[in-house]
Amino acid sequence: MDKNTLKHIAELSRINLTDEELEKFTPQMQTILDSAKELQKIDTKGINPMKKHIPFTALREDVIENSLSQEEVFRNAKHKENGYVKVYGKIFGAIEES
Amino acid sequence: MNTSKYDVIIGLEIHIQSKTESKMFCSCSTNYFSKEPNINVCPVCLGLPGALPVPNKRAIELCILLGLATNCDIDNEIHFDRKHYFYPDLPKGYQISQYKKPICSDGYVDIKDENNETYRIEIERIHQEEDVAKSTHHIEQSTGMEYSLIDYNKSGIPLIEIVTKPNITSAYQAREYANKIRQIVRYLGISDADMEKGQMRCEPNISLQEKGKWEYKDGKILAIGEYQLNPKSEVKNIGSISAVEKSILYEIERIEKELDEGKKIIQQTRGWNADKGITEFQRSKETADDYRYMPDPDIPIIEISDEDIERISEEIVELPNEKKERYLTEYSLSEYDSNVLTANKNISEYFEDIVNILSTEMDTLKAAKATSNWITGAVFSISNDNKIEINEDNIPKQSLAYLILEYEKKILTRNKAEELLRESLEQKKDLKILIENATKESQDSTSNIESIVDEVINTNPKAVNDFKSGKESTIGFLVGQVMQRTKGNANPNIAKSVLIKKLNG
Repeated sequence: MDKNTLKHIAELSRINLTDEELEKFTPQMQTILDSAKELQKIDTKGINPMKKHIPFTALREDVIENSLSQEEVFRNAKHKENGYVKVYGKIFGAIEES
Repeated sequence: MNTSKYDVIIGLEIHIQSKTESKMFCSCSTNYFSKEPNINVCPVCLGLPGALPVPNKRAIELCILLGLATNCDIDNEIHFDRKHYFYPDLPKGYQISQYKKPICSDGYVDIKDENNETYRIEIERIHQEEDVAKSTHHIEQSTGMEYSLIDYNKSGIPLIEIVTKPNITSAYQAREYANKIRQIVRYLGISDADMEKGQMRCEPNISLQEKGKWEYKDGKILAIGEYQLNPKSEVKNIGSISAVEKSILYEIERIEKELDEGKKIIQQTRGWNADKGITEFQRSKETADDYRYMPDPDIPIIEISDEDIERISEEIVELPNEKKERYLTEYSLSEYDSNVLTANKNISEYFEDIVNILSTEMDTLKAAKATSNWITGAVFSISNDNKIEINEDNIPKQSLAYLILEYEKKILTRNKAEELLRESLEQKKDLKILIENATKESQDSTSNIESIVDEVINTNPKAVNDFKSGKESTIGFLVGQVMQRTKGNANPNIAKSVLIKKLNG
């Protein structure tokens, strides 16, 4: 982990870090990576990922249920306008829309 | 034809919104078109903490159905992954998609290329994901600040992504392929695929490479020797099938010009501007996308058995290509008519139903030919003039079959039959009753046609003499006289035969 990698990761999450913050967080991030590295030492050859399997037939049927009210939807929205969530700032950045 | 020193290499990504009742991972309604914003939204759509996405069985069935219809391999395990990007159109901070293991892979679709030869478009993968919110961008008058308005109704609607291998070699092929995919999804009821409504989105990527400097291997474009491959451009905002072709043609010309001018080509995303007929630079893609994919821990691995797949495959109906082949062989229709009639599933079913009705009265080949002529001719043009759809409600099949039959029996002339069809659609009159009346009039006029013919013969001695002395063209004039006296109600064919009989007798 170096400062540039951290800067890149922060930018992907639209977080601006000052030089000071980069200095401070880079070693912290490195500690996290080091911990993960410990786990990677374990030999997992021949062991399947521990993820639950379910049969296709157990999936949700295509039936509509009630959604939230608009009022509930906006409870976490800082700004709204005519039923829309309003977001300030130029959001059309380097990361594409899907 | 292509005298350029470059080969054109195109890949196409198509997104299709599936026609399900509820969203991909929650039970909110998918019905968002011209609805009030943010009414079909729940904690899953908003990515609230603790919300659990649960896959929609029907959506996955539709994805598999499309995979089966495009000759893909279907995986027996379904894995969902998180594709991370930070943008307000997906408040979770990631889109649930599929990365390493798409549900469907290695398929193909056959199309006819510009030389009317069969060309196989290879499909790399078809995977299931979710749509994002609709956002519009504005500038605030009072503050001058930029802002976006977000409607999450669209967020979470099932979205199928179909990715071709880069083996499309022309804008024409790309258009035909997009059209074929649209036909297939409509035939199978997977989606209405209305591009204007955003139910189908096409994003071609285009690059030009020097001839002989590259090879196509295992679905990839590889440089030969020291050659550096030119980067590709990707085109977005395409709102119609024809714009697929137009935008690619524009890009080919643009890139070729830049290459010839010795400019350095950069990988970029461009937007199609339909009004100006050009693509416009949106952003460069200097670095590879960094989506930090990871398996979605919220969604278990879904096991799908061969029996499940078998059951889904029962939904496969006869697809456009197969139907067209059948029209060519079984009905001996022309290539053109077969294409036109199979382009739309409803039309083809309407056509076949009428052929079946008529087949009880006449030879099937004759019935098919007659029905094809009527539908692709008068029915298309008259329904188009009146802006109505061709269906049972607007033009009942029994009535149209009756009309075609009366025409084939020469009881109605083509003009008269078309006039009845037009009258029925324009004035909303029952076609069957119109035909019955016209037929009756025609029969009435036939029964008294003998006396009218006698009258015409008696009052036109010169024309009669001309005819008898060998000037056969005079018969046209005499038929015209009969028609005039019957106010156009007589069948000219019958009038002619009665005239000839009497003149020769």
